[in-house]
Amino acid sequence: MRKAKKFAIGALAIATVLTLAACSTSGTGAKTASAKVTTVGFIMVGSTQDAGYNEAVADGAKAVQKDLGTSVKVITADQIPENNSVTQTMQAMVNQGASIIFATSYGYFNYALAFAKSHPKVTVLHQGGYLTGTFPKNFGTYWGQAYDPVGLGGMAAGGVTKSNKLGFIYAFPISQTIANIDAFELGAQKVNPDAKTYVVNTSSWCDPLKQKQAVSALLGQGIDVFSQHQDCQSTVIQAVKTAGKKVVGYHYDAKALYPAGWLTGSAWNWSAIYEKIIGAVQKGTFAGGPYNADWIGSISTGDNPLQLASFGTSVPADLKAKILTEKAALGKPGSSIFTGPIYCQDGSVLVAAGKVATYADTNSFSCLVKGVVGTLPKS
Amino acid sequence: MTVEQSQKIAVPGVSSLRTFAARIPWKRIALVVGSYAACVIVFTAFSAWQGANPLTIIPTMLQSSLLDPSAFSQTLLRAVPVGFAALAAAIPARAGLVNVGGEGQLIMGAVAATGTGLAVGGSIPGVLGILVTVVAGMAAGAIWAGISAALKVWLGAAESVTSLLMNFIANDIMLFLIYEPWKDPNGSGQPQSRPLSDGIRLEPIFGLDINVAVIVLLVFAVGMWLVISKTGWGFALRVTGGNPVAASRNGLPTKSLALSAMMVGGALAGLGGALNLIGVEGQLRPDITETFGYIGFLACFLGRNDPIKAVIAAILFSAIALSGNGLQITEGLDGSVVNVLLGAIVLTMLAVGRRQGETL
Amino acid sequence: MNIVGEILTTAIPGSVAIAYPALGELISERGGVINLGTEGAMLAGALSGFAVTITTGNIWLGILAAVLAGAACGAVHAYAVVIRKANQLASGLVVWFLALGITSVLGASYNGQVVTPLASIPIPGLSSIPVIGQALFNQNALVYVAYILVPGIWWFISYTRPGLILRATGERPAVVFAGGHNPTLVRYVAVTVGSALAGVGGAELALGIVGNWSDDMTSGYGFVAVAVVIFARWNPFGVAIGAYLFGVCLAVSSVVQAQGIAINQYVLDALPYAVTVVVLVVVSAFGRNNAPESQREALSEIQ
Repeated sequence: MRKAKKFAIGALAIATVLTLAACSTSGTGAKTASAKVTTVGFIMVGSTQDAGYNEAVADGAKAVQKDLGTSVKVITADQIPENNSVTQTMQAMVNQGASIIFATSYGYFNYALAFAKSHPKVTVLHQGGYLTGTFPKNFGTYWGQAYDPVGLGGMAAGGVTKSNKLGFIYAFPISQTIANIDAFELGAQKVNPDAKTYVVNTSSWCDPLKQKQAVSALLGQGIDVFSQHQDCQSTVIQAVKTAGKKVVGYHYDAKALYPAGWLTGSAWNWSAIYEKIIGAVQKGTFAGGPYNADWIGSISTGDNPLQLASFGTSVPADLKAKILTEKAALGKPGSSIFTGPIYCQDGSVLVAAGKVATYADTNSFSCLVKGVVGTLPKS
Repeated sequence: MTVEQSQKIAVPGVSSLRTFAARIPWKRIALVVGSYAACVIVFTAFSAWQGANPLTIIPTMLQSSLLDPSAFSQTLLRAVPVGFAALAAAIPARAGLVNVGGEGQLIMGAVAATGTGLAVGGSIPGVLGILVTVVAGMAAGAIWAGISAALKVWLGAAESVTSLLMNFIANDIMLFLIYEPWKDPNGSGQPQSRPLSDGIRLEPIFGLDINVAVIVLLVFAVGMWLVISKTGWGFALRVTGGNPVAASRNGLPTKSLALSAMMVGGALAGLGGALNLIGVEGQLRPDITETFGYIGFLACFLGRNDPIKAVIAAILFSAIALSGNGLQITEGLDGSVVNVLLGAIVLTMLAVGRRQGETL
Repeated sequence: MNIVGEILTTAIPGSVAIAYPALGELISERGGVINLGTEGAMLAGALSGFAVTITTGNIWLGILAAVLAGAACGAVHAYAVVIRKANQLASGLVVWFLALGITSVLGASYNGQVVTPLASIPIPGLSSIPVIGQALFNQNALVYVAYILVPGIWWFISYTRPGLILRATGERPAVVFAGGHNPTLVRYVAVTVGSALAGVGGAELALGIVGNWSDDMTSGYGFVAVAVVIFARWNPFGVAIGAYLFGVCLAVSSVVQAQGIAINQYVLDALPYAVTVVVLVVVSAFGRNNAPESQREALSEIQ
């Protein structure tokens, strides 16, 4: 009885609070969506200020709002984990009037696809996914050939290193990352055949302590140029700066953090592809169009969303010229850093002589190329 | 309060209405209502300081968690793993055991469900396949919790600590499986298991986004309440939890009671993990439990170890989590701000609840 | 450099980031209160330390802020547990969620920014000892403070009068009360001070090691600290060893990989927790249980 009464008090308390709150609901919260405005939602997995992957997305979203002006209303949500929470967020965005949703983290893929199927009026785009099979009319994936600009960054690293030892800190042995490591080493070899790339994984997309430990461990091996495939890159850059070494960035142009030691890197510039997709949806040409599929930008087609970042002060002019020449060469149709022959560490052939690996090929890469020191966790 | 008095309250005659009114602890109600209102006000002020419009915060939150049917469906779906984790803490608590291992038990439930689902997915279709998958999840949860219980019963190691540590071990086991042996060959090398076949996934019901797992949760909430309050086992648990020495002297099998309470708790969390997997997730991925197990523990605490109240608290917490979406999208706040509200509510309970936290 | 020296060099700063909260947890538990809010106190310490450092430009003010933020988290936990007699485990989790939410919101604008971390100070002579010299004696100031803190806390607990009262409060509060002291006050102070040390652990992470802030950057190290205390059997030297072993487990994978050797990272990640469970079981079953007496109840009792 005592308990029942106390529970009643508690229930009453909550009911009162909810009633008060509900009363204040009426009159406010009216949605003002005029017919011509397209509401576009962007969902990010990390912080919008990570100087990395998510900040690049956030910058793209801002640019969309600025460039397309009053014809769109951009809404964003960040730090949405890769589980059913993203479905909840997509639903919340649709409830806010969103008709286009960009789900920008790899792990959102299945939720985004399922959401597109159950919400035929909403166009759902997934960043980084790759679908084999038929696309629903309102679903598309897009990405860039990341490994080509990463290879250019590798050239900068290979040209600057004095110890011929480069370090690459990655999170998980996924094929995208494997392709990046391979491209980085291949790029380095283009200017410095003796360059070796040492790899360390952190088992996390952003764990500052593990990143710092990885840098420290690599310093012990005499590495003097670092690169990485992590979501956030401040820690690595700061650690490299403290050690007085050089760094090649990824995801975002973070030259400002360490101008003297930043060689170059690759940085996402998403706004162009975002705007093209939004335009296609607004014009009604999305279904069946190039974005209603696996869309992959590349240097050779001139629309790679991942671009070579700015050069730092310590890249010599002749090296810069070599990198830009290589970039121009990659601009020819059908070319890629993965032009055979390319060999795995064990001597087996990764890409045969005379062949060029396609983006789809790289999605099944599972070996590190000759010149990379270290092994992937077994798979 | 004597028996006579309580009967009067239960059936207030006309003559006793005045006495009844006089007996309502107005001060206490004012304190409790005031405290929770203060909690909401503090949260609103904090949000306003962060740049939100104080007048629209609460409506936005309600809209994105409870008032809109599609949002409310998502709230209920999220409540499934949280609610079962809350039950997983509630049952052992009756026997005086602290199960902080809901997170790990959810994970092991999901792991077992994935393994079983992938194995039987093609061969045992329909309801039977779902049943086998779910039972595997329950068994895994029960075993995982059973380890802590066994260490407690036979070796005297505190189950609160071992169950907490085993959360981390469970997570590492799951990561090992999805990075190596169970990795989806079509997943671009990403850490995830192969997706379960559609035959053992839960379908939406009632034309909403919710699936049958929500009903199962509500049934188990009531069922567990009945088990605790109406069965001999439930009574024995309460006696053991109240005074283990006396229980033991009176011939109650305290060891097997402790073991069974913990394992039933683990089975419930395993069930939650399995239902969440075959309901909304469909494949094993690194972050699928988030911190649901810990939030469930807090929900159990807020619900005073009562199965029904614990599940209601789990739904409340899920609604709060969902409301973070609205706050982000329309108010431009950081979505994590809702953790502040969640913490504040439980803290308020700690602060205004009777000593030893007797009130809601 | 040899591999032992390298593992040491890489492991020590991380170990110290675990040792501070573990020592704090030890003080708290010696007084009879378990604090799962340690993770939250570390987050609060890391963010406030970083924010104050970047605002004022003075890293020592940052560390002071971290101490205060940690203490504030502890005060909340102490109020709930000591004054309101709330469930210790639940209250600790609440403090964690509060800190997680607040630091995530307030820290949003600090993501991606950097400060120069605390400088390494080589100790003349000692730092040139072969193998371990650089690893142990070319570190930042917070590392050295931790070296002193371990025997300091041991001495405090074992030989001083306040230390005796602290232990007695953990064992038999009634006796302390009879002796004319206030066990409630002792516990309140112990939890707050312990949590302040966890704040320093956060500062070591954000300011001593990495020089930046990122959301949820403690990645569960606060829970590791709680495990370390149990592993250590409530002994400061044990904490030092435990924190060090856990730190090595965290660091060894990086170092071994950098040498080009494959390693099963999941076993390594799970190892510290598994070892702690084993130690806990072995000691509970066969050893002298030197857990504070009130702690034994608190650990196995809900409300």
